Amino acid sequence: MSSFDVLVAGGGIVGMAAALDLAREGRSVVIVDEGRHSGTTANAGSLHIQMQSRFIRMYPEQVADLERSLPLYPAGAARWRELEAELGADMEIRSCGGLMVAEDAEQFAFLADKCARERRLGLDVHMLERAELARTAPYLGDAVHGAELCVEEGKLNPLKANEAIRTTLQALGVQRLDETVITALSPAGHGIEARLSHRSGHRSLTAGQLILAAGSGTGQLAAMLGVAIPTGAEPLHVNVTEATAPLIGHLVQHAERMITMKQLGAGQVVIGGGWPARFTGPEEFPAVDPASMIGNLSLAQHIVPRLGALRVIRTWAGVNTTTDGQCVLGNLPGHDNVFAAVPGDAGYTLGPLVGRVAAALAMGRDPGHDIARFTPSRFAAPA
Amino acid sequence: MSDRLTITFEGRMLGARPGQSLGAALAAAGEHALRHTSGGDCRGMFCGMGVCQECLVTVDGAPNQRACMVKVADGMVVHRQAAPGETPTARVGAAPILFADLATRSADVLVIGGGAGGLSAALAARSCGLDVLLLDERQTAGGQYYKQPSEALKVGPLDRQQRDGSVLRQRCEAAGVRIIDGAETFAALDASSVMATHAGRTAVYRARAMVIATGAYERAVPIPGWTLPGVMTTGALQTLWRSHRALPGRRILIAGNGPLNLQVACEVMAAGTDVVAVAEAADMLGPARLGAALRMAMQDPALTTTGIALMARAWRGGAKLLFGQVARAISAVEGGLQVELGNAKGGHGERFVVDAVALGYGFQPSNELLRALGARHDFDPGIRALRTVRTRECETTVPNLFAVGDACGLGGAPAALEEGQIAGLAIAERLGASPPAGVSADAAHRRLQRHRRFQTALWHLYDAPSPGLSLADDATLICRCEQISKGTLIAAMADGEPSIGAVKRRTRAGMGRCQGRYCGPLIAAHLADATGRPLHEHALFAPRAPVKPVTISDLVGGSSS
Repeated sequence: MSSFDVLVAGGGIVGMAAALDLAREGRSVVIVDEGRHSGTTANAGSLHIQMQSRFIRMYPEQVADLERSLPLYPAGAARWRELEAELGADMEIRSCGGLMVAEDAEQFAFLADKCARERRLGLDVHMLERAELARTAPYLGDAVHGAELCVEEGKLNPLKANEAIRTTLQALGVQRLDETVITALSPAGHGIEARLSHRSGHRSLTAGQLILAAGSGTGQLAAMLGVAIPTGAEPLHVNVTEATAPLIGHLVQHAERMITMKQLGAGQVVIGGGWPARFTGPEEFPAVDPASMIGNLSLAQHIVPRLGALRVIRTWAGVNTTTDGQCVLGNLPGHDNVFAAVPGDAGYTLGPLVGRVAAALAMGRDPGHDIARFTPSRFAAPA
Repeated sequence: MSDRLTITFEGRMLGARPGQSLGAALAAAGEHALRHTSGGDCRGMFCGMGVCQECLVTVDGAPNQRACMVKVADGMVVHRQAAPGETPTARVGAAPILFADLATRSADVLVIGGGAGGLSAALAARSCGLDVLLLDERQTAGGQYYKQPSEALKVGPLDRQQRDGSVLRQRCEAAGVRIIDGAETFAALDASSVMATHAGRTAVYRARAMVIATGAYERAVPIPGWTLPGVMTTGALQTLWRSHRALPGRRILIAGNGPLNLQVACEVMAAGTDVVAVAEAADMLGPARLGAALRMAMQDPALTTTGIALMARAWRGGAKLLFGQVARAISAVEGGLQVELGNAKGGHGERFVVDAVALGYGFQPSNELLRALGARHDFDPGIRALRTVRTRECETTVPNLFAVGDACGLGGAPAALEEGQIAGLAIAERLGASPPAGVSADAAHRRLQRHRRFQTALWHLYDAPSPGLSLADDATLICRCEQISKGTLIAAMADGEPSIGAVKRRTRAGMGRCQGRYCGPLIAAHLADATGRPLHEHALFAPRAPVKPVTISDLVGGSSS
């Protein structure tokens, strides 16, 4: 049976980032990825910092938690920029600024209030009235009344970023077992034994430590160790257009409606923002719901009318992980050698930071952030 | 009065005929380079049927127009599409809508695709009194076999094949089949409804049963130079002449595998071109092929005679018929395109300089809607493609979803006609409608069996190893849209045991406008060979809406309010 210092469950951005720090410090690491919900690679590439109004509206009871998590986001975006420099790879990271647009005075007032709270929490955010917005973002249509600008927000190309990190891990000797399911976890001596299933057969491996970075699958894995972490899977729709000359300079969102828009380096516009996809078949494969195309793209051309002339060429379904709105980050209760690493929301933005914190915890080092409130033990049933 | 139109392309005035596609008018004027790539090359019309997205031009300021699908109009100002194209200025978009706001159109039976199979299914169901709606993406239904000319061209049918198509379409119209031309079906919602755009509006089309008859498109065989303007599929060359009465040059070379190449060679020779050579990959004259030829003659003497006559005509017309030969490389030279022939193993052969090259290596089923709906498919090594699993009545594994013709596995147009009739009658029975007196599917079943035996023998006659990626060199582009070379792809495929989705994400192959239709089957076949795992329905790129690129303004221009 093969043996590793650390088993990382989940080969998405969080797991890869954790593996990177561990491997750089000489740990032997294996990543096991189920490849089912494709959290690994279905990212859309927004770097979110300001609070997404979608969450404020959908989960108003979580707003206080969202606000307390806010300082993590600028740190998450900063970690992305460091990572790009460290790996010497072009991930097309752009701190281009993010606009959350309002269509009327009421929405503008909602954003102004949000902006004021975010400023108190230390974000570099401003309100832009129509005239100033027209100078900053001339591509926005007449329907837009004003916007909140978050200076540090931005975007990156997830295909380039994921591939750069994957090949770096490969060069560092990190093993990666794809399309492999963890069917059982159990304490074994001072470590953990994992039973694995792959189409070629079953196998087991042992590791001294375990990092649970499996997004929405984390709850199921934690349950194998008797710990409750309520992670949920939310399949979401993403569209991409054919390439066009530089058009949309910012990450664009809406004060009241579900939309994100950004343009990649090669010119395609990625349009998403939380429209539903669905799970299909016994494997619960995330599949596109064509109905979401209509609402999502209709809104896109309403905000940026020039998009109307472009054709949508691809759609896909990503899977967002839902928790109680906050990260789940820290030791599993009763398991000193197991660590949960789940970003609360905007998982791709927070991924490298959350992975780094988990790696630091596994190595017994100071994670550099106050993570006490993110402890997995908050879900433990009261004794 | 002159029936000529005038357009400008890059400032040059060109003549065109009413009813032609813009692409045909440009080809006839010798304008093959239609768009720039970000890599600094030019591309031209390749598939000629709206699939490959290579012939994108800017028309009157609107970017990303497929020259092969746009009808030419007097005074059009056309430019080569830059990479990437500029988006026209607009300050006001449409009011936001939701899916529920889309107009809905209903019928008893919905038929997607107006080729031989679709028209035949529509006619059969209509003859039983059902309300039938047929959506076809071309300006004039008829599909790739009948290739109907536009009425505005004011030309008669070229031959029996085109006349048959015209008659079938007229019978459908006379019977009351509601045919909607120019309707792009881009998403399947469930077994009985789709979304389609027509004339800038999107609607949901619903029915009690649906027939998918989306046909096939041509298989790619990448060779050095296959992306050069002036290199097109054999089907594109055929469409230029049959549907648009346009020819892409005076000297033409045709290479590939299968009976279409010879037929098209004869057609364009009769039209006045000089077909310098037809290279056929199969070594058809070998004695081992005699049995196949005899079996064909037994099943369909008339069609077999036609085949022999074609060969004789091509030869008499001065075309070199070269068997066991493939086009190995194409390069741009002074005065045209130089094609180097050779055998598939690597021997160097004759060189020819021509104005245009047609490559035809058989077909891939257009089964995206079927796969998106979860209809089961099995890989059939005989046709090197997925075959839709169907009952004898052409019903798929999804209840009330029927499929006919080449979309389910390359049976040819005569078989598609019979399948259409069988499916149409089966649907009528399912929906409680009665066929006209004396009509049953029995005769169609008998004819279908004969066509299938003929087709099997034909494939045997033309059997040749699939070149796959073997004729490409490291620098040859495999994914034309995203400009991904064979070398890049081979390296990505050799790194671990990646799924086709992982190869796509690592390299971007398959992420472009053609949605992986050409590179996808090549990558899937290579991965299957490399891993020893057989090809299966999940070995290809996942089919997702939109199954054809669709303009956002068309997509949301369908509110019923």
